Amino acid sequence: MATENARPTNSMPPVSAAYHPAEGAFDEMFRPDGSARPECSAVTEAVFGRGVDELSKIHASAERMLLRSGVTFNVYGESAGAERIFPFDVVPRAIDSPTWATLESGLIQRVKALNAFVADVYGEGNILKDGIVPRDLIMDSSQYRRGAIGIAPPHGVFITVAGIDLVRDAAGNFCVLEDNVRTPSGVSYVIENRLMLARLMPDLLRECRVKSVERYLADLLESLAELAPAGIDHPTIALLTPGPYNSAFFEHVFLSQRMGIELVEGRDLVCMDHKLWMKTVYGPKRVHVLYRRIDDDFLDPVVFRPDSMLGVSGLTAAMHAGAVTVANGIGTGVADDKAVFAYTPQMIRYYLGEQPIIPIVDTHLLREHDVRAKVLLNLDRYVVKPTGASGGYGVVIGPRASDEELAKLRTVIERDPKGFIAQPMITLSTHPTLVTQNGGAPKLAPRHVDLRPFVLMGAKPRVLAGGLTRVALREGTLIVNSSQGGGSKDTWVLEAPC
Amino acid sequence: MTMRFRIRHVTKYDYPEPVYESHNEVRLKPRDSTHQRTIGFRLDVNPPAAIAEYHDAFGNIVHALSIHKPHRELTVMADSLIEHDEIPDIAPPRNPSFAEFLIDDELRAQEEYDFLYPSRYVPFSDQLKRLFWMQHPKPDQPVADYVARIVAWVRDQFAYEPGATNVHSDVNQVLATGAGVCQDFAHLTIGLLRLAGVPARYASGYLAPRGRLRPVGSQASHAWIEVMVPGRGWTGFDPTHGCIATDHHLRIAVGRDYGDVPPLHGVYRGASSVHRMGVTLDISEDGDPGPASTDSGANQQ
Amino acid sequence: MLRRVASQLFWTARNLERAEWRARLVNVNYHLLVESPAGAIEGWTPLLAITGDLDLYVTLYETPAEQSVLEFFTLDDANPSSIRRCIGYARENCRALRNCISSEMWAEINSLYLDANGWTYDTLQAAGIFEFFQDLRNRFYLVSGIVESTMPRGAAYDFLTIGRTLEAAENVTRMLDAKYHFLLPHPDDVGSQLDLQQWAAVLRSASALEAYIGTFGNAMNIEHVVDFLLFDKSFPRAARYSIDRLDAALERVASGGKEGASQIPTARTLASRLRSGSAPGVIKDGLHEYLLGIQDDCAKIGGELFAKYLRFE
Repeated sequence: MATENARPTNSMPPVSAAYHPAEGAFDEMFRPDGSARPECSAVTEAVFGRGVDELSKIHASAERMLLRSGVTFNVYGESAGAERIFPFDVVPRAIDSPTWATLESGLIQRVKALNAFVADVYGEGNILKDGIVPRDLIMDSSQYRRGAIGIAPPHGVFITVAGIDLVRDAAGNFCVLEDNVRTPSGVSYVIENRLMLARLMPDLLRECRVKSVERYLADLLESLAELAPAGIDHPTIALLTPGPYNSAFFEHVFLSQRMGIELVEGRDLVCMDHKLWMKTVYGPKRVHVLYRRIDDDFLDPVVFRPDSMLGVSGLTAAMHAGAVTVANGIGTGVADDKAVFAYTPQMIRYYLGEQPIIPIVDTHLLREHDVRAKVLLNLDRYVVKPTGASGGYGVVIGPRASDEELAKLRTVIERDPKGFIAQPMITLSTHPTLVTQNGGAPKLAPRHVDLRPFVLMGAKPRVLAGGLTRVALREGTLIVNSSQGGGSKDTWVLEAPC
Repeated sequence: MTMRFRIRHVTKYDYPEPVYESHNEVRLKPRDSTHQRTIGFRLDVNPPAAIAEYHDAFGNIVHALSIHKPHRELTVMADSLIEHDEIPDIAPPRNPSFAEFLIDDELRAQEEYDFLYPSRYVPFSDQLKRLFWMQHPKPDQPVADYVARIVAWVRDQFAYEPGATNVHSDVNQVLATGAGVCQDFAHLTIGLLRLAGVPARYASGYLAPRGRLRPVGSQASHAWIEVMVPGRGWTGFDPTHGCIATDHHLRIAVGRDYGDVPPLHGVYRGASSVHRMGVTLDISEDGDPGPASTDSGANQQ
Repeated sequence: MLRRVASQLFWTARNLERAEWRARLVNVNYHLLVESPAGAIEGWTPLLAITGDLDLYVTLYETPAEQSVLEFFTLDDANPSSIRRCIGYARENCRALRNCISSEMWAEINSLYLDANGWTYDTLQAAGIFEFFQDLRNRFYLVSGIVESTMPRGAAYDFLTIGRTLEAAENVTRMLDAKYHFLLPHPDDVGSQLDLQQWAAVLRSASALEAYIGTFGNAMNIEHVVDFLLFDKSFPRAARYSIDRLDAALERVASGGKEGASQIPTARTLASRLRSGSAPGVIKDGLHEYLLGIQDDCAKIGGELFAKYLRFE
């Protein structure tokens, strides 16, 4: 703890006295006694020093900027094609340098192990033969894809982009809540948020020496280029989008524009001669690396869903022929299955011979009789999540569910225990957030946050400094998804204590 | 004695309107096994197609075909030269009973997962389970005997009747009609054996005519099964004929069921209606061209 | 440039031009109807003839009357060229083009689209017909202005130009044809107050009245109007100017590829014909046939474009 670098906190402006950290949660800026945590005290002072009114003005500017720049997402089900801005809170979430260093190595370790796992599952299957991970967990998973067998991507990389969801428990320890290794999204918000704060609070960014996130796009481009088929020196890279009706379309536009790669839909692509081409006005142009943001099932009508309009017929044959690399590879979903998640610490030991640097949230496999019995006794204390083997049941938050919902859940679990896992409900850490309640005066109040860092795997691993901090804007709620009223904060990884 | 067989397998598709783009996976090149080797193979496609070869999840040989020229006819000709050894009739070193066999369950489930569980054409439906219970094995029964018995039993209980089912029928349809073709006999037997805990997989290939063992009907394209018999390993059985597979059963591919090994499967753009398919098959021993057998019928690609 | 993107840019521009043209037409001709003695013109039929929509209108409605014609032009979903539908197509195309158009262009088209969704006949009446269409026309001018100011001059801009100029050339020739062929009054009426007013209206429909007067003076005569609207080389909506711009854009597009020279032969020949044409000649030989010929060529150009650059499925 860098106490020697902490500035005296008796100079804290009075507005901080009005801030009450939530009970039972780890507040990222303040200790329970109300003093600022020394790791990020400069940020805390600067933010609170501005005063709520100024922060509100900055917030209003930010919203205008967001709307103008079109940082929106499409809400499913809204027919007029309404686009909403992903709500943004101007109070940045700071992470000190030593904490980040640990997280970074833990994240790289994790993604290396997950990658090795996917390669193994579609290759020799050693981890299954050795009984570390039950075979049926993989074979029964809705994400297992036989079409991935026999395809050897460059550098053995199946997972090029991973979004690892981290939460901080009541003791302030980071742990992994879940992995996202299929088509993780959210990085465009990270970059846009930073751009905005850079315009609105440039002095603060400079003062605190915040690590840049600008490199992410160059890093992603480099990672993709490193995965080009052998012998291709200047690969053509394209981003495959499902199109403008997809909720993440803004991000697809953003990424392709900033990386200078073509944004393509399935109908722009054709496989000829077992190579991938895009249809340009000057004739077909070869594509060497396809960064795809569509699900496996829609990727290739020959091998997957024949009715898919989003993919390209013959793509898997082109992958077998080594003519194109698809990132992320087919079938990576076996690695972010909720049940498989419970085995990720063992994967790290098995493939890397290391102890996990970042622990995972306790994950109880309800397929195991004793485990199930124990969880069912206290179902109202757990968050129950469906695995890849389930029939599409949703997540149930025990402590928030009604008796009726819990009873129904119990029946469903008994009927299909392999379909579910349970995790204790974590009280997410909180962070001061600008809120206006019931048309009253704005103030800073604690809101729950999580963190989604992004990890890239090309010829070598690269981690975006920080990631997307999602914040639950409604008081007391733990749900941070954009579709359910969440917002985001800029995440500041500090270079050194300041 | 090692036999040699020459197979010329021609499939022709006719479309009512032109097809202008076609992508297919072809499984017509026989894979090697302990007793069978492919010593020559040629794939000709008209109109000319880009062809690439790879192996699928089951180790079968797949040719990816893609055509970008408008066409109203597609002809795929596979020409194979196969050597097949006589299958030695050696008694296996051990012949465990079910009680002994099922002790090994964990290990077997590990290695043969795909071939112990339901698949698209072999769901473990109530009807199948009822049939299984009528014939279920006793604990002291030797597994090998049971397998042979089931294979013979299916042959006796079900009638060979083209038209009773179609290429997309699963075991439930066969059970309902009480009749089917070799594909259906294979699926049914596989289902019963899997329910007994015995790994069973589908084999596609050809049955070269020999003596009384003629291709039933005019189809020499044939389907049978392979069973993991303790002490013997993967052993071929032919439920359509109620016997063990012979050195005239020339295997192309294996999978969980027909869905994993269709001879030609793909997507195309252009013609929207169902087309006609014709198959011509010549199988000869020692390179002598034999009488051609033809079979045509409407089929989806 | 992806073929789909070229196609979407092309159709965005065509749809915007089509909608703008209609807004201008209604604006001008409403004015004319209000100023003319009642019954002097057969109501709204000429407008339908000018846009080539008369047949479709007749299948949907019975007789031309103010409300139904205005609804047909502006709101009707059964009319694929109604202003609202054109705006809808433009917006849908633009949605997928977010990575090659400016955010201002998107914002304005999207805003137009959201407003158009809310229009009813009451909206038109409440604003006042003349004012409504004037404002609408101005909004299209705004979109054009945004394109001009924010679009880098590359292939995307060229395909927008190609769509817009092709549509503009078709519109102006169709309008001339309607006036000359369909609206041709009794020979006794040639040169009458009504005839002159109609020619002035034709010019105004192309926003060309002041420019015409600058070139030919105050007198309206058919030769001069035809000369101006077909063969003028500097007026933005003259057919020749539009086709010159079209041809130049096609030349630039072709220069980006291997072949080098323009790949749309009909654009080349049409441009050449318009450069050497003159009003007395074409009127003598048959203006109607000449105008039909231009429209045929425009359709051919559309087909050649489709085959060469735009077709992707």
